[in-house]
Amino acid sequence: MTTKTLLLLALTAFGFVPSASAQTKAPPAKEEAKPIIVKMQMLPSRHFLVKVKIEGKGPYNLILDTGAPLTIITTRLAKDVGLIKKNAPSGFSLFGGVNQITIDKLEVGELVTAKTNAVVMDHPTVDAISNAFLKEHGPIDGIVGFPFFARYAMTVDYQKKELSFTPNNYKPGDYMADMMKNLMSATENKGPRSLTAGGLWGIGIDKEKDDEKAGVTVYKVFEMSAAAKGGIKEGDRILTIDGRWTDTLADAFLATSLVKAGKSVPVVVQRDGKEQKLMVTPTPGR
Amino acid sequence: MKALSVALVFALSGAFALADEKPKPEPKEPKKVPAKAEPSLEIPYRLTDTKHVLVRAKLNGKGPFNFILDTGAPAVFIPNKVAKKVGLTTDQKGWGTFDIFEIEGGLKVENAKGRVEDLFQLEGMNGMGLAGVELHGVIGYNVLAKYRITYDFTKDKLVFATLNFDPPEPKGIGEKGGGQGGLEMMGTMMKVLSGFMGIKPNYEVQPTGLLGAELEQKKDGVYVVSVLADGPAAKAGMKKGDKLEDVKGSSIDDFADLNRVLGKSNAGSEIKFTILRGEEKKSFTLELAKGL
Repeated sequence: MTTKTLLLLALTAFGFVPSASAQTKAPPAKEEAKPIIVKMQMLPSRHFLVKVKIEGKGPYNLILDTGAPLTIITTRLAKDVGLIKKNAPSGFSLFGGVNQITIDKLEVGELVTAKTNAVVMDHPTVDAISNAFLKEHGPIDGIVGFPFFARYAMTVDYQKKELSFTPNNYKPGDYMADMMKNLMSATENKGPRSLTAGGLWGIGIDKEKDDEKAGVTVYKVFEMSAAAKGGIKEGDRILTIDGRWTDTLADAFLATSLVKAGKSVPVVVQRDGKEQKLMVTPTPGR
Repeated sequence: MKALSVALVFALSGAFALADEKPKPEPKEPKKVPAKAEPSLEIPYRLTDTKHVLVRAKLNGKGPFNFILDTGAPAVFIPNKVAKKVGLTTDQKGWGTFDIFEIEGGLKVENAKGRVEDLFQLEGMNGMGLAGVELHGVIGYNVLAKYRITYDFTKDKLVFATLNFDPPEPKGIGEKGGGQGGLEMMGTMMKVLSGFMGIKPNYEVQPTGLLGAELEQKKDGVYVVSVLADGPAAKAGMKKGDKLEDVKGSSIDDFADLNRVLGKSNAGSEIKFTILRGEEKKSFTLELAKGL
């Protein structure tokens, strides 16, 4: 067995406990979507805490972190609410396993979320922040991450120290499974990622290698195409598509890949030294 | 190892070593800044493979650079490499003010301050290419707090509404070594491990080729609505009303089939199409063009 294979095994086989219902579904938003307001508590370090009840117990202090792809809770909290055994080891080991769990009931203020994925981990940074403000704020027991907040349209208002949540039926998916897949495929050379425009535009764009100015150049517009109907002309310099910068061909292709066929989007072009905003509706096709 | 890669994806920053820094007293009332008649702006974003909210920003006219929006970070952080590229001058503690900090979507952040530091989280994620895109920095509290931000992943834009709010400066948690609880070596470690495992991040993208046909999904399949004059489809003889039977040897029932079959075919690829015109089956091989 090669070292590489061994390492991959070590990476993936370490005590990974897949949860029975890893793929969670957002709760159906039956009632009129009314935003639920949750107060945040600012720490001097400018992180903010929300009060969270887990499996009906608590409240506990957790950091809400848009930079967190997972929700994590400390072993202390997990034991407290009976998600792991009382004698389970605590602490953090870099080479340890990851204990993935499903929280049946997670409450943030009046928000109740059923079946949300989380990981039990004593994250050293959370520990450090917790210890720093222990006197004023009590212990901090984890991070509320993407699997929770992605289920809502979430508005963060630091001035009012308020969060507002409206269910949006977004399905956060199973992060751990995806990451393992990514890690496994990271060692294969898959070549470049392919991007396909969401619809048919009917233009050819180009950019010379030594051209460092903003935008890409339109060298061809097909007659009767969506681009032609929208008013794009040969020689135009496309600066943005649907608000996204198009300074490289890759960025231009990325921007068009994110525009669905049939959606009318603004395209800002530079023509004769002046900027113009055109509207283009790519048609289904390719 | 697993724990390591999981711990790494939290862009959470316990802030910075402030041992020698006297944090400013926190003002009781947030300082009011003059009201600006700025409407809310739609900010394009993407979710990375690691489920981070990525926006792009041009700094001092350079870039764009890829930033994670991170309420778990007290400030804007950029690595030394980026600071150098954009010519950011910093004080002794590593803080600098950008001349221009423009977020994609048309948002110019005035007097944006940033901290220059090679965050191990970003180094680690970049080392493995975990995010699927190179990450250049994080945008944290000191800029985020100036706006009321709505995150809704069923939409393709975030909404930033400017607040009349001058956020008080963050205080570090005063721990030695940057307040990460001892995780600082992880970035280097991941880089080394990645190299050892033969992981090489690959962020290259390639557009698929142009067929030049407007298509329509009907109950029984995919039909040609029109062809672009002198596009590949037109040149090969494809016509309005043709029904796509199979492409590259795979039968086509819907757009999803077509996307799967042509998903990696770039310009210059020769593709065999079989169509049904009335009762007649026709096949042609055509070369996908550059364009979209």
